[in-house]
Amino acid sequence: MTERNNIPQLVDHLFRHESGKLVSVLTRIFGIENLDLAEDVVQDSLVEAMTHWEYKGIPDNPSAWLFRVAKNKALTVIGREDHKRKYISSVVHLLRSELTAEPALNHLFSEEEIQDDQLRMIFTCCHPSISPDSQIALALKTLCGFSIPEIARAFLTTVDNINQRLKRARQSIREAAIPFDIPRGKELDKRLDAVLETIYLLFNEGYSASKGNDIIRYELCEEAIRLAQIVAAEKTIQPKENVEALLALMFLNVSRFKARQDGEGRLLTMEEQDRELWDEQLRAIGLYHLQEASRNNSLSVYHILATISAQHSIAADYASTDWSSILSLYDILITLDHSPLIRLNRSVAIAKVKSPREALAELETIRNEPAIDKYYLFHATQAEFLIQAGEHAQASAALEQAIRLAPLYSIKELLTRRLSRLTTI
Amino acid sequence: MKEFMLLIRNEGDGKASLSPEQQQQFINACMVYIEDLIKKGNLKGAQPLIRDGRIVSGTPGAFKDGPYNESKEIIVGYYHILAKDIDEAIDIAKGNPEFAFVKGARIEVRPIKTREEGANKDYPTGK
Repeated sequence: MTERNNIPQLVDHLFRHESGKLVSVLTRIFGIENLDLAEDVVQDSLVEAMTHWEYKGIPDNPSAWLFRVAKNKALTVIGREDHKRKYISSVVHLLRSELTAEPALNHLFSEEEIQDDQLRMIFTCCHPSISPDSQIALALKTLCGFSIPEIARAFLTTVDNINQRLKRARQSIREAAIPFDIPRGKELDKRLDAVLETIYLLFNEGYSASKGNDIIRYELCEEAIRLAQIVAAEKTIQPKENVEALLALMFLNVSRFKARQDGEGRLLTMEEQDRELWDEQLRAIGLYHLQEASRNNSLSVYHILATISAQHSIAADYASTDWSSILSLYDILITLDHSPLIRLNRSVAIAKVKSPREALAELETIRNEPAIDKYYLFHATQAEFLIQAGEHAQASAALEQAIRLAPLYSIKELLTRRLSRLTTI
Repeated sequence: MKEFMLLIRNEGDGKASLSPEQQQQFINACMVYIEDLIKKGNLKGAQPLIRDGRIVSGTPGAFKDGPYNESKEIIVGYYHILAKDIDEAIDIAKGNPEFAFVKGARIEVRPIKTREEGANKDYPTGK
């Protein structure tokens, strides 16, 4: 028995993943058009578990207990809502019979089926006809068991806004008649790309520059990794190199997560980070996945980004970073993705391998791209190159511009520190 | 896959002689059997039938409905299954726990007559 005062936390946190599993299985049972019903049943089950345990204490196997509650509720709902709802799913029929209900539930709630249902849910949430914003909100809600206020906190937005996104997602599912299934054949490749994109987007929501609560951001990264692991575990999905590459990228990046801020929560650049704080185990898992990703000749953006990340991870210190390898990787990357952001990152490697002046010239080629001039990192990067080139007056101006454009206080602070060091030289 | 109906036949109340413990064992065996059929994608549905019922006979205007259990052998349930052919359906029937627990149990294996491929393709000509 666990302490009673931990109950709300246990239900909230430990059961996030259980609730993700339950929503997936119940959606399979009720059909995707009854997703709201699946979510309600899971919510009711959690409430019932919490109320019961608060009174009686937590049972030895709370997970099995919760699943039992959900199974019973599912049967009740099928009986009660029979006339109100239309169930397309074929398993509902078996759940109506006293003889077959229990064996059917055992089958549906088996490890393998749950895993498959979660994968079905991943493909549904990441369907291209749902907007990216809504995809992530829906995945967090259904698969990751986040509450709406938690999602709102993670995105630094309002509960209303998240509700709107979820509403739009459900609407898209209905309008596009998205099937609750794992695509096969040619369809799979296309849909898998979309799934990986959404997972990477979710990861970056957590990983990209300090916004919002640190714990929640780390959880977003963990969730992205977990979803990718579910995809990677599915035997019928082949080839897996791109999933493996994405996993490598996420593990390698997340291994540096805790080193990116100092004790006062100030952002640190790669150069300033204490490499002792990099997580050795996560790094090793990342490198393992990178090896798995290189089993045949496939090459995705994730492969290159992961390899670049690995180059940072394996360098003993900042000075011994293999910048010429990194530049070669960026040279390949821009053939796959010519976006200004990739070219901006590539310019950092140019400055290291060639010269700051050549990097500055490279920046000039992207200055006129839409929105890049409004992006603080463009000006901050330019300032770095100007400092290296000894152009301190121009560098100050660029830094001031970057500080004006920086979206977050922690970034403004990082840049201001840089500026004050510059002016005291 | 073809559809079959497996009709379970018992002589009289075949399960009345089972002890409560045996009845529980029989139910457990059925759960395992059914779960296995679901897992393999063989089961469309299954229901036990209550022993009481009526038999309707006669002709329109002169119906009779008499008690069901007048005959010695009664149908106590059905399994609606999917199988490759009659041989597989027979194998599935042989796996039914009825045979291990109920003396004289018999299972009737009957292919379901489904609409044939290509049937009903004659469209009205418009005349």
